[in-house]
Amino acid sequence: MKKRGCGIGSMWYGIGNTGLPNPSGAFVQVLDDCTVIIHTGCADIGQGSTTVLAQIAAEELGVNFNDISVICADTGVTPDAGKTSASRQTYISGNAVRKAAQSAKETIFKKGAELLQVPEEELILKNYQLNSLKNYNIQISLKEIMAKCREDGTLVIGHGWFNPQTKGLDKRGQGIPYATYAFATQWVEVEVDTETGEIDILNVVAAHDVGKAVNPMAVEGQIEGGSVMGAGYALMEEIILDDGKIINSSFSNYLIPTIKDVPCVNSIIVEEEEVTGPFGAKGVGEPALIPTATAIANAISNALGIRFYELPITPEKILNSLKTANNTNKNQRDF
Amino acid sequence: MKLEVLQFELNARKVSVRVKPDATLLDVLREDLDLTGAKRGCGEGECGACTVLIDGMPVDSCIYPALKAAGKNIETIEGLGTEDNLHPVQKAFLDEGAVQCGFCTPGMILTTTALLAKNQSPSEEEVKVALSGNLCRCTGYTKIINAVKVAARNINKL
Repeated sequence: MKKRGCGIGSMWYGIGNTGLPNPSGAFVQVLDDCTVIIHTGCADIGQGSTTVLAQIAAEELGVNFNDISVICADTGVTPDAGKTSASRQTYISGNAVRKAAQSAKETIFKKGAELLQVPEEELILKNYQLNSLKNYNIQISLKEIMAKCREDGTLVIGHGWFNPQTKGLDKRGQGIPYATYAFATQWVEVEVDTETGEIDILNVVAAHDVGKAVNPMAVEGQIEGGSVMGAGYALMEEIILDDGKIINSSFSNYLIPTIKDVPCVNSIIVEEEEVTGPFGAKGVGEPALIPTATAIANAISNALGIRFYELPITPEKILNSLKTANNTNKNQRDF
Repeated sequence: MKLEVLQFELNARKVSVRVKPDATLLDVLREDLDLTGAKRGCGEGECGACTVLIDGMPVDSCIYPALKAAGKNIETIEGLGTEDNLHPVQKAFLDEGAVQCGFCTPGMILTTTALLAKNQSPSEEEVKVALSGNLCRCTGYTKIINAVKVAARNINKL
Protein backbone atom coordinates (compact mmCIF):
# COMPACT_ATOMS: atom_id res chain seq x y z
CA MET A 1 0.00 0.00 0.00
CA LYS A 2 1.15 3.54 -0.62
CA LYS A 3 0.70 5.99 2.21
CA ARG A 4 1.11 9.73 2.02
CA GLY A 5 2.11 12.17 4.72
CA CYS A 6 3.23 15.77 5.22
CA GLY A 7 5.83 17.20 7.55
CA ILE A 8 7.35 20.51 8.52
CA GLY A 9 10.85 21.40 9.64
CA SER A 10 11.96 24.79 10.93
CA MET A 11 15.34 26.18 11.84
CA TRP A 12 17.40 29.16 12.82
CA TYR A 13 21.06 29.38 12.03
CA GLY A 14 23.75 31.79 13.13
CA ILE A 15 25.71 33.43 10.30
CA GLY A 16 29.50 33.35 10.78
CA ASN A 17 31.82 31.62 13.22
CA THR A 18 30.43 30.92 16.69
CA GLY A 19 31.49 33.55 19.21
CA LEU A 20 34.77 34.17 17.42
CA PRO A 21 36.19 37.08 15.47
CA ASN A 22 35.93 36.23 11.74
CA PRO A 23 36.72 39.36 9.77
CA SER A 24 36.84 39.84 6.02
CA GLY A 25 38.64 42.54 4.03
CA ALA A 26 38.44 43.98 0.53
CA PHE A 27 40.11 46.54 -1.76
CA VAL A 28 38.21 48.52 -4.37
CA GLN A 29 39.70 50.72 -7.08
CA VAL A 30 37.75 52.87 -9.54
CA LEU A 31 39.71 53.35 -12.77
CA ASP A 32 39.75 56.26 -15.23
CA ASP A 33 37.23 54.58 -17.53
CA CYS A 34 34.84 54.13 -14.56
CA THR A 35 35.42 50.39 -14.38
CA VAL A 36 36.05 48.93 -10.96
CA ILE A 37 38.42 46.28 -9.65
CA ILE A 38 37.64 44.45 -6.41
CA HIS A 39 40.23 42.40 -4.55
CA THR A 40 38.80 40.00 -2.00
CA GLY A 41 39.95 36.75 -0.46
CA CYS A 42 36.41 35.39 -0.73
CA ALA A 43 36.43 31.98 -2.45
CA ASP A 44 33.49 31.36 -4.77
CA ILE A 45 32.92 27.62 -4.76
CA GLY A 46 29.86 27.88 -6.98
CA GLN A 47 27.51 29.60 -4.58
CA GLY A 48 27.85 32.86 -6.48
CA SER A 49 29.72 35.09 -4.02
CA THR A 50 31.79 36.70 -6.78
CA THR A 51 28.60 37.78 -8.54
CA VAL A 52 27.01 38.99 -5.32
CA LEU A 53 30.09 41.01 -4.27
CA ALA A 54 30.23 42.66 -7.72
CA GLN A 55 26.52 43.52 -7.42
CA ILE A 56 27.09 45.09 -4.00
CA ALA A 57 29.99 47.23 -5.30
CA ALA A 58 27.99 48.21 -8.41
CA GLU A 59 25.05 49.32 -6.26
CA GLU A 60 27.27 51.32 -3.90
CA LEU A 61 29.23 53.03 -6.71
CA GLY A 62 26.31 53.63 -9.08
CA VAL A 63 27.94 51.76 -11.97
CA ASN A 64 26.91 48.74 -14.07
CA PHE A 65 27.58 45.22 -12.88
CA ASN A 66 29.45 44.53 -16.16
CA ASP A 67 32.00 47.22 -15.32
CA ILE A 68 33.17 45.39 -12.20
CA SER A 69 35.94 42.81 -12.19
CA VAL A 70 36.51 40.70 -9.13
CA ILE A 71 39.89 39.23 -8.32
CA CYS A 72 39.27 36.72 -5.60
CA ALA A 73 40.68 33.97 -3.42
CA ASP A 74 44.33 34.43 -4.35
CA THR A 75 46.42 34.52 -1.18
CA GLY A 76 49.20 36.16 -3.21
CA VAL A 77 47.23 39.31 -3.96
CA THR A 78 43.89 39.42 -2.15
CA PRO A 79 43.18 40.49 1.44
CA ASP A 80 42.01 37.89 3.94
CA ALA A 81 38.27 37.26 3.74
CA GLY A 82 38.17 34.22 5.98
CA LYS A 83 36.68 30.92 4.96
CA THR A 84 33.79 30.21 2.64
CA SER A 85 31.93 28.47 5.44
CA ALA A 86 29.33 29.22 8.10
CA SER A 87 27.11 30.79 5.40
CA ARG A 88 29.11 33.95 6.02
CA GLN A 89 30.46 35.39 2.76
CA THR A 90 27.49 37.45 1.54
CA TYR A 91 27.04 38.94 5.00
CA ILE A 92 30.67 39.45 6.04
CA SER A 93 32.60 39.86 2.78
CA GLY A 94 29.57 41.67 1.36
CA ASN A 95 29.97 44.23 4.12
CA ALA A 96 33.75 44.41 3.56
CA VAL A 97 33.29 45.09 -0.17
CA ARG A 98 30.58 47.64 0.52
CA LYS A 99 32.81 49.46 3.01
CA ALA A 100 35.74 49.40 0.58
CA ALA A 101 33.46 50.83 -2.13
CA GLN A 102 32.25 53.48 0.30
CA SER A 103 35.79 54.48 1.12
CA ALA A 104 36.64 54.80 -2.61
CA LYS A 105 33.45 56.80 -3.01
CA GLU A 106 34.64 59.30 -0.39
CA THR A 107 37.40 60.40 -2.78
CA ILE A 108 34.87 60.74 -5.61
CA PHE A 109 32.56 62.82 -3.41
CA LYS A 110 35.38 65.02 -2.18
CA LYS A 111 36.50 65.77 -5.73
CA GLY A 112 32.88 66.20 -6.89
CA ALA A 113 32.05 68.60 -4.06
CA GLU A 114 35.11 70.65 -4.93
CA LEU A 115 34.22 70.82 -8.63
CA LEU A 116 30.50 71.49 -8.10
CA GLN A 117 31.01 73.84 -5.17
CA VAL A 118 28.44 72.09 -2.98
CA PRO A 119 28.82 70.23 0.33
CA GLU A 120 29.60 66.49 0.04
CA GLU A 121 26.56 65.60 2.18
CA GLU A 122 24.11 66.65 -0.50
CA LEU A 123 25.66 64.54 -3.27
CA ILE A 124 24.39 61.28 -4.68
CA LEU A 125 26.22 58.93 -7.07
CA LYS A 126 24.05 56.98 -9.50
CA ASN A 127 24.26 55.87 -13.14
CA TYR A 128 27.82 57.22 -13.52
CA GLN A 129 26.61 60.64 -12.45
CA LEU A 130 27.14 62.74 -9.35
CA ASN A 131 24.11 64.91 -8.57
CA SER A 132 23.16 67.38 -5.88
CA LEU A 133 20.11 66.10 -4.03
CA LYS A 134 18.98 69.70 -3.57
CA ASN A 135 19.27 70.74 -7.20
CA TYR A 136 19.38 68.00 -9.81
CA ASN A 137 20.74 70.42 -12.40
CA ILE A 138 23.97 70.54 -10.44
CA GLN A 139 25.71 67.48 -11.80
CA ILE A 140 28.95 66.05 -13.07
CA SER A 141 29.71 62.74 -14.71
CA LEU A 142 31.84 60.13 -12.95
CA LYS A 143 34.08 60.10 -16.02
CA GLU A 144 34.81 63.82 -15.62
CA ILE A 145 35.60 63.35 -11.95
CA MET A 146 37.93 60.47 -12.76
CA ALA A 147 39.64 62.64 -15.39
CA LYS A 148 40.13 65.45 -12.85
CA CYS A 149 41.50 62.93 -10.35
CA ARG A 150 43.97 61.69 -12.97
CA GLU A 151 45.00 65.30 -13.71
CA ASP A 152 45.95 66.06 -10.16
CA GLY A 153 47.31 62.60 -9.40
CA THR A 154 44.57 61.31 -7.10
CA LEU A 155 43.87 57.59 -7.13
CA VAL A 156 40.36 56.43 -6.24
CA ILE A 157 41.12 53.49 -4.00
CA GLY A 158 39.26 52.22 -0.97
CA HIS A 159 39.69 49.46 1.51
CA GLY A 160 37.24 48.07 4.00
CA TRP A 161 36.82 45.25 6.45
CA PHE A 162 34.05 43.90 8.59
CA ASN A 163 34.00 41.72 11.66
CA PRO A 164 30.60 40.67 12.97
CA GLN A 165 29.96 41.79 16.54
CA THR A 166 30.09 38.67 18.67
CA LYS A 167 30.99 37.83 22.25
CA GLY A 168 32.61 34.52 23.19
CA LEU A 169 30.52 32.08 25.19
CA ASP A 170 31.13 31.79 28.94
CA LYS A 171 31.15 28.63 31.05
CA ARG A 172 27.36 28.54 30.97
CA GLY A 173 27.28 28.91 27.19
CA GLN A 174 26.07 32.49 27.47
CA GLY A 175 27.28 35.24 25.14
CA ILE A 176 26.60 36.64 21.69
CA PRO A 177 27.62 33.82 19.37
CA TYR A 178 26.40 35.41 16.14
CA ALA A 179 25.69 38.91 14.88
CA THR A 180 22.69 37.77 12.86
CA TYR A 181 20.58 34.68 12.16
CA ALA A 182 18.84 33.12 9.19
CA PHE A 183 15.41 31.53 9.62
CA ALA A 184 13.62 28.93 7.51
CA THR A 185 10.67 26.57 7.35
CA GLN A 186 10.32 23.74 4.89
CA TRP A 187 7.27 21.62 4.11
CA VAL A 188 7.56 18.21 2.52
CA GLU A 189 5.03 15.69 1.21
CA VAL A 190 6.10 12.04 0.88
CA GLU A 191 4.61 8.79 -0.32
CA VAL A 192 5.79 5.61 1.42
CA ASP A 193 5.39 2.21 -0.20
CA THR A 194 4.65 -0.18 2.68
CA GLU A 195 5.52 -3.22 0.53
CA THR A 196 9.01 -2.08 -0.49
CA GLY A 197 9.80 0.60 2.09
CA GLU A 198 10.57 3.02 -0.71
CA ILE A 199 10.01 6.71 -0.03
CA ASP A 200 9.06 9.13 -2.78
CA ILE A 201 9.36 12.84 -2.10
CA LEU A 202 6.40 14.40 -3.90
CA ASN A 203 6.70 18.05 -2.95
CA VAL A 204 9.12 20.38 -1.23
CA VAL A 205 8.30 23.96 -0.31
CA ALA A 206 11.21 25.84 1.25
CA ALA A 207 10.73 29.31 2.74
CA HIS A 208 13.93 31.12 3.74
CA ASP A 209 14.51 34.47 5.39
CA VAL A 210 17.72 35.72 3.75
CA GLY A 211 17.55 39.37 4.80
CA LYS A 212 17.77 40.86 1.33
CA ALA A 213 18.19 38.56 -1.68
CA VAL A 214 21.02 40.35 -3.50
CA ASN A 215 20.68 37.85 -6.36
CA PRO A 216 17.32 36.07 -6.13
CA MET A 217 18.19 33.49 -8.79
CA ALA A 218 21.35 32.47 -6.92
CA VAL A 219 19.41 32.37 -3.63
CA GLU A 220 16.86 30.02 -5.23
CA GLY A 221 19.73 27.89 -6.50
CA GLN A 222 21.13 27.65 -2.98
CA ILE A 223 17.73 26.76 -1.53
CA GLU A 224 17.03 24.12 -4.20
CA GLY A 225 20.47 22.57 -3.94
CA GLY A 226 20.47 22.60 -0.14
CA SER A 227 17.02 20.99 0.07
CA VAL A 228 18.12 18.18 -2.23
CA MET A 229 21.29 17.62 -0.23
CA GLY A 230 19.06 17.55 2.86
CA ALA A 231 16.88 14.92 1.17
CA GLY A 232 19.97 12.79 0.59
CA TYR A 233 20.89 13.20 4.26
CA ALA A 234 17.38 12.11 5.27
CA LEU A 235 17.00 9.10 2.99
CA MET A 236 20.23 7.71 1.62
CA GLU A 237 23.54 9.20 2.67
CA GLU A 238 25.54 7.35 5.29
CA ILE A 239 29.29 6.96 5.70
CA ILE A 240 30.06 3.42 6.82
CA LEU A 241 33.25 2.90 8.80
CA ASP A 242 35.12 -0.34 9.28
CA ASP A 243 37.96 -0.09 11.77
CA GLY A 244 38.22 3.64 11.15
CA LYS A 245 38.23 3.31 7.38
CA ILE A 246 35.44 4.54 5.13
CA ILE A 247 34.26 1.53 3.13
CA ASN A 248 31.72 3.27 0.92
CA SER A 249 33.71 6.14 -0.56
CA SER A 250 32.45 5.90 -4.13
CA PHE A 251 29.28 7.02 -5.86
CA SER A 252 28.31 3.39 -6.44
CA ASN A 253 27.99 2.67 -2.70
CA TYR A 254 27.55 6.14 -1.19
CA LEU A 255 24.42 7.29 -2.92
CA ILE A 256 23.48 10.92 -3.38
CA PRO A 257 20.22 12.09 -4.95
CA THR A 258 20.02 11.89 -8.72
CA ILE A 259 17.63 13.98 -10.79
CA LYS A 260 15.15 11.08 -10.57
CA ASP A 261 15.12 10.98 -6.76
CA VAL A 262 13.76 14.43 -6.10
CA PRO A 263 10.92 16.69 -7.17
CA CYS A 264 11.37 20.30 -8.23
CA VAL A 265 11.79 22.43 -5.12
CA ASN A 266 9.44 25.37 -4.66
CA SER A 267 11.44 28.08 -2.95
CA ILE A 268 9.98 31.09 -1.21
CA ILE A 269 12.36 33.94 -0.50
CA VAL A 270 11.46 35.92 2.62
CA GLU A 271 13.13 39.32 2.82
CA GLU A 272 13.34 40.70 6.33
CA GLU A 273 16.21 43.13 5.93
CA GLU A 274 19.07 42.81 8.40
CA VAL A 275 20.27 46.25 9.55
CA THR A 276 23.90 45.15 9.89
CA GLY A 277 23.95 43.35 6.50
CA PRO A 278 25.11 44.78 3.17
CA PHE A 279 21.89 46.28 1.76
CA GLY A 280 20.10 44.10 4.33
CA ALA A 281 21.55 40.73 3.25
CA LYS A 282 22.34 37.75 5.49
CA GLY A 283 23.26 34.22 4.33
CA VAL A 284 21.52 31.16 2.91
CA GLY A 285 24.13 28.46 2.18
CA GLU A 286 23.75 25.96 5.01
CA PRO A 287 20.26 26.95 6.21
CA ALA A 288 18.87 25.47 2.99
CA LEU A 289 19.66 21.90 4.02
CA ILE A 290 19.12 22.11 7.78
CA PRO A 291 15.31 21.71 8.06
CA THR A 292 14.86 19.23 5.17
CA ALA A 293 15.62 15.96 6.97
CA THR A 294 13.39 17.02 9.87
CA ALA A 295 10.53 17.80 7.51
CA ILE A 296 10.97 14.47 5.70
CA ALA A 297 11.15 12.47 8.96
CA ASN A 298 8.00 14.23 10.16
CA ALA A 299 6.25 13.51 6.85
CA ILE A 300 7.15 9.80 7.07
CA SER A 301 5.90 9.70 10.65
CA ASN A 302 2.71 11.39 9.49
CA ALA A 303 2.27 8.76 6.77
CA LEU A 304 3.02 5.67 8.87
CA GLY A 305 2.40 6.68 12.47
CA ILE A 306 5.93 5.55 13.31
CA ARG A 307 8.74 7.84 14.49
CA PHE A 308 12.27 7.44 13.22
CA TYR A 309 15.17 8.68 15.33
CA GLU A 310 18.07 7.73 13.09
CA LEU A 311 19.12 8.93 9.64
CA PRO A 312 19.14 7.92 6.87
CA ILE A 313 15.62 6.49 6.85
CA THR A 314 16.28 3.68 4.38
CA PRO A 315 13.69 1.26 2.93
CA GLU A 316 15.18 -1.45 5.21
CA LYS A 317 14.50 0.67 8.30
CA ILE A 318 10.96 1.40 7.11
CA LEU A 319 10.19 -2.30 6.55
CA ASN A 320 11.73 -3.35 9.88
CA SER A 321 9.73 -0.72 11.76
CA LEU A 322 6.52 -1.69 9.97
CA LYS A 323 7.16 -5.32 10.89
CA THR A 324 7.79 -4.46 14.56
CA ALA A 325 4.69 -2.26 14.64
CA ASN A 326 2.59 -5.06 13.08
CA ASN A 327 3.87 -7.62 15.57
CA THR A 328 3.17 -5.30 18.50
CA ASN A 329 -0.35 -4.72 17.20
CA LYS A 330 -0.83 -8.46 16.70
CA ASN A 331 0.44 -9.26 20.20
CA GLN A 332 -1.87 -6.64 21.64
CA ARG A 333 -4.77 -8.17 19.75
CA ASP A 334 -3.85 -11.71 20.83
CA PHE A 335 -3.58 -10.55 24.43
CA MET B 1 54.68 1.16 -23.32
CA LYS B 2 54.32 1.22 -27.11
CA LEU B 3 52.09 4.02 -28.30
CA GLU B 4 49.29 3.39 -30.76
CA VAL B 5 48.00 5.81 -33.36
CA LEU B 6 44.39 6.80 -32.81
CA GLN B 7 42.40 8.65 -35.44
CA PHE B 8 38.91 9.95 -35.01
CA GLU B 9 36.72 12.94 -35.71
CA LEU B 10 36.71 15.45 -32.87
CA ASN B 11 34.32 18.41 -32.92
CA ALA B 12 34.03 18.16 -36.72
CA ARG B 13 37.81 17.98 -37.29
CA LYS B 14 39.91 14.95 -38.03
CA VAL B 15 42.54 14.30 -35.36
CA SER B 16 45.37 11.84 -35.10
CA VAL B 17 47.09 11.26 -31.79
CA ARG B 18 49.53 8.72 -30.35
CA VAL B 19 48.08 7.17 -27.22
CA LYS B 20 48.92 4.53 -24.64
CA PRO B 21 46.92 1.39 -25.40
CA ASP B 22 45.30 1.47 -21.95
CA ALA B 23 44.42 5.18 -22.03
CA THR B 24 40.81 6.18 -21.55
CA LEU B 25 39.14 8.60 -23.93
CA LEU B 26 39.04 11.15 -21.08
CA ASP B 27 42.85 10.82 -20.61
CA VAL B 28 43.40 11.53 -24.29
CA LEU B 29 40.99 14.47 -24.41
CA ARG B 30 42.31 16.14 -21.26
CA GLU B 31 46.01 15.24 -21.28
CA ASP B 32 46.91 14.91 -24.96
CA LEU B 33 44.44 17.23 -26.66
CA ASP B 34 44.11 19.84 -23.86
CA LEU B 35 40.32 19.72 -23.93
CA THR B 36 39.53 20.07 -20.22
CA GLY B 37 35.79 20.68 -20.58
CA ALA B 38 35.04 17.04 -19.79
CA LYS B 39 35.76 16.62 -16.07
CA ARG B 40 37.25 13.73 -14.15
CA GLY B 41 34.76 13.29 -11.30
CA CYS B 42 34.56 9.77 -9.89
CA GLY B 43 36.66 8.06 -12.56
CA GLU B 44 34.37 5.03 -12.46
CA GLY B 45 31.43 5.93 -14.69
CA GLU B 46 29.04 6.95 -11.91
CA CYS B 47 28.84 10.75 -11.94
CA GLY B 48 28.67 11.72 -15.62
CA ALA B 49 30.99 14.73 -15.32
CA CYS B 50 33.17 13.23 -18.08
CA THR B 51 30.28 12.84 -20.54
CA VAL B 52 31.09 13.30 -24.23
CA LEU B 53 29.04 12.40 -27.28
CA ILE B 54 30.23 9.43 -29.33
CA ASP B 55 28.32 9.26 -32.61
CA GLY B 56 25.65 11.37 -30.88
CA MET B 57 25.32 9.15 -27.80
CA PRO B 58 26.30 10.41 -24.33
CA VAL B 59 29.11 8.25 -22.96
CA ASP B 60 31.21 8.32 -19.77
CA SER B 61 34.62 8.98 -21.31
CA CYS B 62 36.45 8.08 -18.06
CA ILE B 63 35.75 4.37 -18.59
CA TYR B 64 35.78 4.35 -22.40
CA PRO B 65 38.99 2.90 -23.86
CA ALA B 66 40.48 5.54 -26.14
CA LEU B 67 41.33 3.08 -28.90
CA LYS B 68 37.68 2.11 -29.14
CA ALA B 69 37.02 5.64 -30.40
CA ALA B 70 38.94 4.95 -33.63
CA GLY B 71 37.00 6.21 -36.63
CA LYS B 72 34.17 7.52 -34.47
CA ASN B 73 32.72 10.99 -34.21
CA ILE B 74 33.42 12.58 -30.81
CA GLU B 75 31.82 15.78 -29.61
CA THR B 76 32.94 17.61 -26.48
CA ILE B 77 31.62 20.77 -24.83
CA GLU B 78 34.36 22.74 -26.64
CA GLY B 79 32.75 21.90 -29.98
CA LEU B 80 29.24 22.90 -29.04
CA GLY B 81 29.27 26.69 -29.15
CA THR B 82 31.56 29.65 -28.73
CA GLU B 83 31.44 32.41 -26.13
CA ASP B 84 29.97 34.78 -28.74
CA ASN B 85 27.68 32.21 -30.26
CA LEU B 86 26.36 29.88 -27.58
CA HIS B 87 24.51 26.69 -28.39
CA PRO B 88 20.81 27.05 -27.40
CA VAL B 89 21.30 24.48 -24.61
CA GLN B 90 24.26 26.44 -23.21
CA LYS B 91 22.28 29.67 -23.40
CA ALA B 92 19.29 28.10 -21.63
CA PHE B 93 21.51 26.78 -18.80
CA LEU B 94 22.93 30.29 -18.28
CA ASP B 95 19.60 32.09 -18.58
CA GLU B 96 17.86 29.74 -16.14
CA GLY B 97 20.69 29.78 -13.59
CA ALA B 98 21.24 26.03 -13.98
CA VAL B 99 24.96 26.39 -13.30
CA GLN B 100 26.51 26.73 -9.86
CA CYS B 101 30.01 25.29 -9.37
CA GLY B 102 29.94 24.19 -13.01
CA PHE B 103 31.63 20.81 -12.58
CA CYS B 104 28.66 18.78 -13.84
CA THR B 105 27.64 21.38 -16.43
CA PRO B 106 29.52 20.16 -19.55
CA GLY B 107 28.13 16.66 -19.03
CA MET B 108 24.63 17.94 -18.31
CA ILE B 109 24.66 20.08 -21.44
CA LEU B 110 25.97 17.33 -23.73
CA THR B 111 23.46 14.79 -22.39
CA THR B 112 20.70 17.36 -22.92
CA THR B 113 21.89 18.01 -26.47
CA ALA B 114 21.72 14.28 -27.23
CA LEU B 115 18.25 14.04 -25.69
CA LEU B 116 16.89 16.98 -27.67
CA ALA B 117 18.35 15.62 -30.92
CA LYS B 118 16.18 12.53 -30.44
CA ASN B 119 13.19 14.04 -28.70
CA GLN B 120 12.34 17.66 -29.42
CA SER B 121 9.77 18.12 -26.67
CA PRO B 122 10.55 15.71 -23.83
CA SER B 123 8.25 15.40 -20.84
CA GLU B 124 9.66 16.15 -17.37
CA GLU B 125 9.93 12.39 -16.75
CA GLU B 126 11.83 11.90 -20.01
CA VAL B 127 14.24 14.70 -19.04
CA LYS B 128 14.81 13.02 -15.69
CA VAL B 129 15.44 9.61 -17.22
CA ALA B 130 17.90 11.09 -19.73
CA LEU B 131 19.84 13.04 -17.08
CA SER B 132 19.76 10.42 -14.33
CA GLY B 133 23.37 9.47 -15.07
CA ASN B 134 24.62 13.00 -14.48
CA LEU B 135 25.01 13.85 -10.79
CA CYS B 136 24.84 17.42 -9.49
CA ARG B 137 25.49 18.34 -5.87
CA CYS B 138 24.82 22.10 -6.03
CA THR B 139 21.71 22.94 -7.97
CA GLY B 140 19.13 20.45 -6.68
CA TYR B 141 18.30 19.88 -10.39
CA THR B 142 15.24 22.19 -10.38
CA LYS B 143 16.85 24.83 -12.58
CA ILE B 144 18.47 22.17 -14.78
CA ILE B 145 15.04 20.72 -15.59
CA ASN B 146 13.77 24.24 -16.34
CA ALA B 147 16.78 24.89 -18.58
CA VAL B 148 16.17 21.71 -20.60
CA LYS B 149 12.53 22.73 -21.12
CA VAL B 150 13.56 26.24 -22.20
CA ALA B 151 16.26 24.85 -24.51
CA ALA B 152 13.69 22.52 -26.14
CA ARG B 153 11.33 25.45 -26.73
CA ASN B 154 14.11 27.62 -28.18
CA ILE B 155 15.43 24.89 -30.48
CA ASN B 156 11.92 24.26 -31.80
CA LYS B 157 11.60 27.97 -32.58
CA LEU B 158 14.77 27.98 -34.71
